[in-house]
Order: sequence, then C-alpha cells, then structure tokens
Amino acid sequence: MIGWLRHQKHALTAALNRLRAHPVSTLLTALAMGVAISLPGVLYLGLNNLSRVAGDLPAQPEISVFLDTRISDAQQLAIAARLKQPDIAAARFVPRDEALAALSASQGLTDISAGLTQNPLPDAWVVRPRDTSREALARVADELGKLPGVAEAHLDSLWADRLQAALAIGRAGVWLLSSLFAIALVAISGNAIRAQVLARRDEILVSRLIGATDRYIRRPFLYLGALQGLLGGLAAIGVLAIAGGILRAPVERLATLYGSTFHLLPPTAIEIAAVLAFTAALGWLGAWLSVTRSLHQVEATR
Amino acid sequence: MISFSQVTKRYPGGHDALSGVTFSVEQGELVFLTGHSGAGKSTLLKLIAAIERPTSGVVSVSGQNIGRLSRRAVPYLRRNIGLVFQDHKLLFDRSVIDNVVLPLDIAGFDRRESLKRARAVIDKVGLLSREKANPVSLSGGEQQRVCIARALVSRPALLLADEPTGNLDAGYAADIMAMFRDFHQVGTTLLIATHDERAISALGGRTLHLDHGSIEEAAA
Repeated sequence: MIGWLRHQKHALTAALNRLRAHPVSTLLTALAMGVAISLPGVLYLGLNNLSRVAGDLPAQPEISVFLDTRISDAQQLAIAARLKQPDIAAARFVPRDEALAALSASQGLTDISAGLTQNPLPDAWVVRPRDTSREALARVADELGKLPGVAEAHLDSLWADRLQAALAIGRAGVWLLSSLFAIALVAISGNAIRAQVLARRDEILVSRLIGATDRYIRRPFLYLGALQGLLGGLAAIGVLAIAGGILRAPVERLATLYGSTFHLLPPTAIEIAAVLAFTAALGWLGAWLSVTRSLHQVEATR
Repeated sequence: MISFSQVTKRYPGGHDALSGVTFSVEQGELVFLTGHSGAGKSTLLKLIAAIERPTSGVVSVSGQNIGRLSRRAVPYLRRNIGLVFQDHKLLFDRSVIDNVVLPLDIAGFDRRESLKRARAVIDKVGLLSREKANPVSLSGGEQQRVCIARALVSRPALLLADEPTGNLDAGYAADIMAMFRDFHQVGTTLLIATHDERAISALGGRTLHLDHGSIEEAAA
C-alpha cells in the first residue's frame, strides 16, 4: 500500500516535470483541447440560458375550458363533477371578473381593458390533467370540449411543447457535439503522449531491463495525459469566460429592449468541476490507449 | 541457481544462436563465459534474464521455468538479477545517483532510504565524488562502474555481465574485475561473458566455452 502510494507520488512528480520541461507544447496542446471543448460548452450554456427564458412561462401543460355564457346551473354542476374525476390532477375555476382583473394587471394591456364597457370574457376552468403525455392531453381536451355548456377547451401547452421540443433538439446537439469533441480530445491527448513515449524510449527500455512492470512504465504517462486534459479543461473554461465577457453587454442590452432583466448566467461550480473531471478523464483515456500501443512498438524495435 | 537443459534458441531466419546447451551454475559460483563474438554468449545471458525465450529446452533460474514465465512475472524475476551491459545503458537525462537509484524506485522503496543505499554502492565503486554528475561527462570506465552500481543496488543474488570490460583499457578492466571478485567473495553468484583472458586467469573460477552455439566446460 505504502509502496503503491510512493509509486503514485513518483509518477505524478515525473508527469509534472515532463509538462514543465516542454512549456510551449504543453500550452499548445492545452489550447487545442480548450478550443475543442469550448464549442459544445458555449452551446450548452446558450441553451441553459434559453431554457431559463422558457422556464419563466408555465411549464405544466394546462387546458383552459371556456364556458358558454348561457350555461345552466345543472351543466355547471355536471362540469364540476367531471373535473373531480381521478384523471384530473387539479382544476381551478376562474370567474370572468377575476380573468378581467388579471388581464388589466398584465403589462401593456391596461389600456385595452380600460376601454371596455363590459366584460367580454367568459367564466373558465383551468384544468391540469394527471397524465401529461401529448396524446392524453389531447384526449382530455377533446372530451371536455364536447361537454354541454362548454364553448371551447384550449390546450395551452402546445407552443410550450414546441419550444421544449426545439430545446430538446438543441440538447441532443450538445451531446452529439460533446461526443465528437471528446473523441477529438482523446486523439489530441493520445498524440501528445505518443510523442512523449517515443522521446523516452531509452528510459522505458532500461527500466524494463531492471524490473519495471507495465504499470510502472505506464503510470507517469497516464498522469501526464490526465494533467494535460485538466489544463485543456481550464483553457476551455477560460475561452468560455472570455466569450461570456464579450456577449454579456449586447445580450443584456437586447433584454432591456424587451423590458426584461434577463442576464447571462455563468456555469455553476459543479458544471466547471464536471468539465474538468471530464477532460482529465479523457486525457487519461487518450494516454492509456496511446501508451499501450506505443509500448508495444517500442519493445518491438528493441 | 541456473540450469539449462538441451536449450536451443533459433532466431527468425533460421540462425541457431544456441543449440542443445546443457549446464548448471550453483549458488555463489563465479563463472566465465567465453567464445568468439557471435558464439551465443549474449543470447545465453538474455535467456537467463527472460529478455529472450528459448525455442526449445528448459531454462530454469531459482527454480522458475523462464520459458513458461508470464509477461507479468518477468519484472519480478529481473529485480533479483543485476545486469551489467557492455554499452552501460545509462540514462543521460539524469545524474549518476538518479541512475543508480532507479531499480529501487521501480521496486517502490522509500526514497530517502533508497538514496542512502545508492550512495553506499556508488562509494563502493569509487565514484562518490561524481554522484551529482551527468554520466555523459564520465569516462567509459566510470560509466561502466555506474552501470555496475545500478546492477548491485538492489542486492541481487545473481549478477550477469555481458562483456563488462569490452570497451575498456587494461587498467580500468582490472579495476572492474577486482570489483567482481569482491562481490563473489560476499556470496553473489556471477556469470560474466568476456574474452578477457587475463581477467579469467587473475580471478580463477569456472569457465564455460561457447563455440557456434554449443557449450563445453573448459579445464579450470
């Protein structure tokens, strides 16, 4: 156990020394990785901020049931009874006066409602079904719309669904891009490590002759790959910070023009940690693949 | 300690470096291996350290069958064998002491303890004043002594030397051979491939003569 720890420390020190010995190539590799990772990073943050805009709107799909103005009391009771059935999660009655008051309170519509001589709005129920799948929502809306005394049942969630669907495509795009650039990162790391292995050919051969195991020889290169990946992750976060700094002012100006206090949110500490862990792991993986392959080459040309 | 039984080593291309070699070396023996260049001396040493595998026959070292040794077990075998090379195989990106301490680092010893042992063995080969030097600045004889120090630092029971004095002038060669005699006296088993007749007569000991891949015991 102590010997194992000693080996880890030894390998880490060796890896740090190797990085320090070639500052320019270390920096260039980190930059290449950073730029590669920052592309899906920018897309991810952009989508996150866009989702936040969408998130201010009702996320729960609701059905607005507008009642006929000449509805009878018996029909009223029948509708209320229907809405108590178990497929309805919640139902709220909105009297026409309350609806008008809400409309008046809405920004920019005060002038319109002030000009009205009588309330044009019907009484309504806002219904939230238990099953929120697209088909179930459509079925419930259809059924409620056919009840006697109901003028119209309107599914509010349609446009929100469309936005969510668009965002889902964006998220899938983030994953796709991340996967592609993850492969690129493994390749960049592998290539950098391969050069290191070939440069240390003599050391590897001599170490073998005096009793080094595969793990002993591989270990400093794995640390090297992980450290290089970590530096790449830091570079990516640097790229994102710069991009955020450039975009913040124009985005907030646009938001102000729409009367919103929206501002760009930076990545959270957890997201930053995840990116660093991810890049370090990929650097490690690239190193592992490369060192395993190169070691066989080195030994074959002994 | 070492036993060869009907060992043949054929390299790709059909050249037999060794054919039907049988001999054994007991613990604590000092054995010279002689023969013209290309007679198979290096191949024989490589078989013992599992650098090469026999084509047929059995090579056994400390009771382990080298031909059947798994790749994972090879490093542990080599940690018990000190290897001295004609071309030294030193690393020129580090100091003398870092070269010598390498086997102990590989075995995972405490660093401070390792450095102490490395310094002691460097002292034994007479290079203590040069421990911080880069081996590239040393003469051939001094480099060979560093190589010997590295082979001995983990106190192996067996030392294999391939032409240790091949590139050295007579004075240095005698120094190195005297060093080997000292190690023999403290119980290390030595197998030295050489064609330095003077060294053999000075140290005595058993001589195995290789001729075109076949072995014969020379009269002592």
